[in-house]
Order: sequence, then structure tokens, then C-alpha cells
Amino acid sequence: MKRFATIVTLAALVLLAVFLLYPLALVLDASFRIDGTGGLTLGNYAAIVKSRYYLGSIGNSLLCAALATAFACAIGIPLAFCLARIDIPGRALLLTLASLPLVLPSFVSAYALVLLFGHAGVVTTALRGIGIPIGSIYGVPGIVIVFTLTLYPYVVMPVLAGFQAVDASMEEAARNLGGSRPYVIRTVLLPIVMPAILAGGLLVFIEALENFGVPAVLAEDRPFLAVDIFKLFAGESDANPAAAGALSVLLIACTAIALLVQRHYLGKRRFSTNARSAPAKLPLTPGLRLTATIVSWGIVIASLLPFAAVLMISLLRFRGPVLTWEFGLGNYATLLSGSYRPLLNTLTLASIAAVVTMLIGAPIGYVVARHRSRLSGLLDFVGMVPFAVSGTILAIGLIIAFNSGPLILTGGWLILVIAYVVRKLPFAIRSSSAIVHQLDPSLEEASINLGVSPSKTFATLTVPLMASGLVGGLVLVWITAASELSATIVLYASGWVTTTVVMYHAIEGTGAGLAAAAAAVLILVTAIPLLLINRRINKQESTVI
Amino acid sequence: MTAIRIENLTRTFGAVRAVDDISLDIKHGELFTLLGPSGCGKTTLLRMIAGFIDVESGSICFDGRRIDALPAHRRDTGMVFQNYAIFPNHTVAENVAYGLKARKVPAAEIASRVDKALERVRLAGYGPRSPHQLSGGQLQRVAIARALVIEPAVLLFDEPLSNLDAQLRTEMRIEVRQLQQALGLTAIYVTHDQEEALAISDRIAVLRHGKIEQVDTPERIYRMPQTAFVAEFLGSTNMVPGIAGAFDGRNTPVAAAGTEFTVRGEVAAPGAPVLLSVRPEALQLRDGSGGSLVHARLALREFLGPVQRLHATLPDGTQIRIAALGGQALDLLPGAPLTLAYDPAQITAYPAP
Repeated sequence: MKRFATIVTLAALVLLAVFLLYPLALVLDASFRIDGTGGLTLGNYAAIVKSRYYLGSIGNSLLCAALATAFACAIGIPLAFCLARIDIPGRALLLTLASLPLVLPSFVSAYALVLLFGHAGVVTTALRGIGIPIGSIYGVPGIVIVFTLTLYPYVVMPVLAGFQAVDASMEEAARNLGGSRPYVIRTVLLPIVMPAILAGGLLVFIEALENFGVPAVLAEDRPFLAVDIFKLFAGESDANPAAAGALSVLLIACTAIALLVQRHYLGKRRFSTNARSAPAKLPLTPGLRLTATIVSWGIVIASLLPFAAVLMISLLRFRGPVLTWEFGLGNYATLLSGSYRPLLNTLTLASIAAVVTMLIGAPIGYVVARHRSRLSGLLDFVGMVPFAVSGTILAIGLIIAFNSGPLILTGGWLILVIAYVVRKLPFAIRSSSAIVHQLDPSLEEASINLGVSPSKTFATLTVPLMASGLVGGLVLVWITAASELSATIVLYASGWVTTTVVMYHAIEGTGAGLAAAAAAVLILVTAIPLLLINRRINKQESTVI
Repeated sequence: MTAIRIENLTRTFGAVRAVDDISLDIKHGELFTLLGPSGCGKTTLLRMIAGFIDVESGSICFDGRRIDALPAHRRDTGMVFQNYAIFPNHTVAENVAYGLKARKVPAAEIASRVDKALERVRLAGYGPRSPHQLSGGQLQRVAIARALVIEPAVLLFDEPLSNLDAQLRTEMRIEVRQLQQALGLTAIYVTHDQEEALAISDRIAVLRHGKIEQVDTPERIYRMPQTAFVAEFLGSTNMVPGIAGAFDGRNTPVAAAGTEFTVRGEVAAPGAPVLLSVRPEALQLRDGSGGSLVHARLALREFLGPVQRLHATLPDGTQIRIAALGGQALDLLPGAPLTLAYDPAQITAYPAP
């Protein structure tokens, strides 16, 4: 058993070193090189500090991430409290719906905002028609709105778990000792959920900082870190890989610090949702209960509305960029008339990536959970790194690393799969190790004791016991790979255009109808498998976050 | 039927010597208990025998054959786990058949042996059920059937009853003992419950800090504890520190707790500090007649139905416990003087630590 663990750990470390650490090291290296000659320099960083544009880029990104974090907490904490402590009609359904925005592609939500409130948006034109002008949603306001509406579940999930982890007797004890209800909330409830709030909030911050798709859709010409890195690396006119490297390093530094703080808080306090008796629902007047119901459902519906709008608009006819109220499947015809290839590519790449990720991730998760050693601790740490690295930066690193030399991967499908696998591996590792943690080790020992060898026990007992959880992980990886944009847009080659790439180019160009159809396809592709197994997913998300 | 010989077995975890140079001989068909507080090394020792923890030095032999280098799945032991470890994805019958399948027993024989094993643990007819339909006590019976059915060289019990409620625990321990005797299997039983150990064992090893304090029959362990630790761990004895006096050829007087105890034999050199173990049932309420006596005052009465426990203070204020029958001395109020008689042979003296 020990040999099995060592082999798995070493293989995983080699894999991560080649396809994660080595490419990142090259990005770091590029940031210290003079573009063209290759000499060492700090000039790239100096240029950033001197440039108003780049400082603005960093400032805008940090501002959006900070505002999104604040707003996500502002709606996430009350929602979590309502879900935990108030008897809201349709609570189970609400909980399922509330987790949806995490896996639906956020740039689709951003695009919905453009379709509704953009220059030629449905709502904008309608309001203009009756003489009410509305302000521009491009730039910071729109980006913050989208981040808030798509990332707030990161706050809801851990905070909800925190509220539920307070055993009823704890609160009763505090009340029995003479604490008033507000006093109990302040002295018992808040201290317990505070780390969860910080942990969830920091996750929102990291995701918002890294995100490429949302600012790509909504920034227009305003500077944003994630978009600028992409443009500097892959832009046709003003390419400057060295500057892209320096900005990447700065972005990674920001996310890494946030991630370390987040892990610190999460490591200090772990919540178990299996409190002996969950705290009772609060007795509320009908009026208050109605208010809580409306607010809770309102938040969740508002976050899903953009996706519904995209589905509807995709069925309407566009005349140029202008929407008409005529129904038709014309947008889908345009999308598929060129070729079925992008859709087929999306499905193929996501399927390969999902299977490979779980095949690699499950044994690693098992070893990390069962065989604690210095080596598996190192693996656990390295496996966390992809969380702090945006898809664009990883893709840039992969291109620098595998564009020449002994292993040339650029231009094919394999490099896309590698990028997806590396990005989703931490999730696969964490979800399968969470499953293993729930399995009693004495089950395996009983099997071995009864005469079945350790490797056969793993194959015939442990894997079947993990299976239901692994299927959930597989589907989640599949969904997120299918809607991946930030790495795909850097890495795709002519034969391997995906639906997300089609949509990105349609938005950049004038194909509003095409983009809406592509966005609708992405929503369906991600939502259908999700709804098929939503109960399992819910459980997993809460364990993984 | 297997005899087990353990020689100089050692295992350290970091700086902790979990099992420290332990040697034991366990006879054919014996139910041998490893008893001790948590952290004493009893579970580590059991898991070393099962093969889940590597042996650092020393040896384990079954019937003269060394098994400590064999992998766990080839040691032919049947282990009953504290939390049952019933495979949730298999039926009761499949759980019991698991080890037989691993041993490639023909299918027809498996079916009849599984039925017989379930009958033995009074679960006939439960075969097709799913484990989650069973209660804790029933799951424990399945675990026992699963371990018995393979007719292992040795049965290993790792605190098998600690997850059951008190009444079920006393019932199950009798069943475990009867099954083990009926099948004549050698068994090693780990527990921290001294009453359980006394009730079912042929012999008991009391462990402390990875070392053996005493190996003996239950009666001798209880009546003649060789160390102060064993005396204190088995039964809530009164430990009273004192100073030995001069041996009179038969007894030694010991000055303790502001009074004097008479102890059989020469316990220590005159003037040496000793520790006396006075069992609560060794002290009897008397009304002043001869023999060895000690005086105390009643502090508190715990009435337990058939028996009662009296808490009393010795002249210097030391608290002691006295076991009395339920109907005795009911008219005594706290503060009342007590005269306690004892047999000097029932008091054990240990050198003070």
C-alpha cells in the first residue's frame, strides 16, 4: 500500500511540475527579460509602474474585485441566514438554484447584460424610446454587477454551513444563561460564521481578479488586468510578451496572497454541517417571513435572470445589431451553418478532459486523504497552485513551454486538454479526497483482514464506494471545461475552435445573434447535466468549498 | 486452535514507545484480553498482530510459525472492529461471504456456511437485508459472523462493544464468550472496560505506557494486583499513603491517614513510605467488636439499590469509599462515627512512588 501511495504521489508531482510549475516559471522568467534580446532586466516592472494605463488596469481590477466581494457578502450573508434559519417556501429548490451561478459561464451573464442594457440593448432602446436615458453599464458598474450575481454563492455556501454548524444546544445554552437574542447572535453566531464569511469573500475576490471573460465582454476599451495580459501576449498590433509576463506575475501575487489568507482562515476553523440538532427556525411574524421570502427568492432569480434572458433572446431575430420581436431559429441556423465542428469540439474536449482529470485526480485524492506523508503534503500544496493562476496565464506559460523544444504541443487539441486538466485537477483532488474522508478506513482494513489484497481492495471495494461521488465530480469538471474561455482563447488552433471561442469572436465582431445562440448552447450544455444530478452536486460543492 | 507467542515486540511513533518490548504467550483456545487506559498501546499491539502496523523489532508467531512479515491479508486472522466496518454496499449475506470468496471457497459451500454463521449469531434470515436496515447490536453480530465464518487462526476484537448501550453491552459480551468457547478459537480482546475484561477473559494483560504491568487470571488480577497501577485500574480502590512500622512476625503496622492499618506480611523496612490499596468491599461496618479496626466518619451516602457506596473521612481528613449492602446502616446521618473492620490479608501495600 505504501508503494502504491509513493508511486501515485511521485507521478502526480512530475505531472504538475511539467505542466504547471515549469510553464509558470517561464512566465516569471519572461517578466525579467528584455523583449527581443533576452537580457535580464527589471524594466518591464518599471514600465508598468510608470504607465498610467497599466496602473489603471491594476486599479480597475482590484476595485472591481473588492466591490464585487463587498456586494457578494452583502447579499450572500442574509441569504445564507434566511436559508439556515427561516422557513422559506421552496427552500430545497432555492438552495439548488442558488448554487447554479457558480457553474454557469459568467461571461454569458455579462453578455446578457450587454443584450439588455448595452448600447443597443433591449431595455436601453425601450427606455430611450419613451425618453428615459440610462447610464452606461460598460466598465466597472457592469463588471461588478455580473461578478456579484455570479460569485455570491461562494459566500452563501460556507456561511450557510457555518450557521447550520451551530448546534441548537449551544444557542439554547447562551439563551439559558440570560443572553437576549441579539446578544446571542453577536456573541455566539457571528464569531462562528466570521471565518466562513472571510473565506468565502476571499474566494470571490480571487475569482473576480482572475476572471477574463466578464471584463472581456464588458470592459470595452477600459484597462483591465486579465484582458490586458491577453492582449499584450496575443494581440496583433501591440504584442509585448515581457510586459504580459510582468503583469501576470503581479496578478498571481495578488491572488496568491488572497488564497493564502483564505486557506489560513479555513484551516483554522472547519465547519461540520452534521451538528447534532440543527438550530430551530426563527419564529417570525408573517410580514417578516414574507419579506425574507421575497428577498431570498429575489436574489436568486436576479442572478439567474440574465441566463434566462439569453435563452429567450437567442430565439429572436436580429437585424444587424438591432433586436426585433420576431421569433425564429435563425441564430441557431447561423451558428450551425458554418460547421458543427465548434460544438463537437466543445463536447469532445470537455469529455476527454473530464475523464482524464478524474482518472488522475481520484488516486491522488485517495493518497492525500489516506497516506499522510511529507511527500503527499507537498502534493496537496502544489495541487492548490492552479487556484491562484488564471487560465490565461497558465495558457501563456504552456505556449512558451511547448512552442518549441523537445515537446511541441501548440496548435493541437492536446494542449487544450492539458490546460483543462491542470486547471480542474485541484477540484478533482479535493472532491475525491473529501469522499475518501467520509469512508471509514476500517472498511478497507476489514476487507484486507478477510484476505483480499490492498490493491484488489482499492479496486473492488474503495472505488465502488467512491463511485457516486466521482460521477458528481466528473460532471462538474465536464461542465466547467465545456464553458472554459480564458485558457481556450489563448490556446485554440484553427481546427479546434470551441463554442466559447465562437461566442467570443461573435461578441468582438458584430454577430450579436450568433453570440446569443452560442451563449444559449453553452447554457444548455452546462445546465442539462447539472440538473440531471443536482442533488449530488450540491453536496459536493459544499464539501469542496 | 492456535497458540500465539509474542517476543520482545516494539513499535515507536516518533518519541512515543507505543509498544515497548512486550512478550506474551497465549494458549490454544484462550480468550486473552489486553486491558488498559487509552494510549496504553493495546490497540497498537492488536493491529500489529493483524498486520496493519509494521513491527519494528521482535516477533509474532502463530503455532511456532513467524507471521510478522506476512502482509495483513495473508495472516488468517478474523478481526471485529469497534465501528463494525460492515460494507454498506453489500447485503448481510455478502458481508459474511466476503472472506470465504477471497479464499475461493466453492459457491455451494459458501451459502451453507454463511447460513450457519448467521444462525450462530441469531440472525438467521437476515442474509438478504441491507446493512442500513440493521440496528447497532445486529451489525455487531454480522461483524462477528463475518469474522467467525472464515474459521480464522485467531479472532481479534478491537473494543467491539464500546459503541453499544450499556445493557446490550452486557448481553453481547456473554454471546461473544459463548461463541468463542463453543468454536474453541483463540481470541485476543482489546478493551478499556475493566468489568468487561474481568467478565469474559481467561487471562488478562494490563498494559500501561506500552509495557505489561501484569498478566494473570481475572481473579488474581483483581485480588492480587502486583502494582499500584493495576490495583487502581481494576475496581475503584482506596489508595492511602503511609509509613511502615516494625514487622511483628505476622503483620506490619502502617501509620496512615491519622490512624493505623495492619497489613499481612513484612511490607517494607520500618520507616519506609508505602502506598496502601484498601478495596471498598474489604471494609465492613461493625459495631466495635474485636479484630483489625479503623475509625472514620460518614460524609456522604450513595444509595445504589442492592448496594450502597459510603464516602467517609479518616481521622486526618482523607476520603475513602466503602461498599455496603443496600439495607445496611440506613439510620446513619452524615457526621456519624463508623467503625470499619477488615482482614489484614485483604490490604495490599506497594512501595510509595
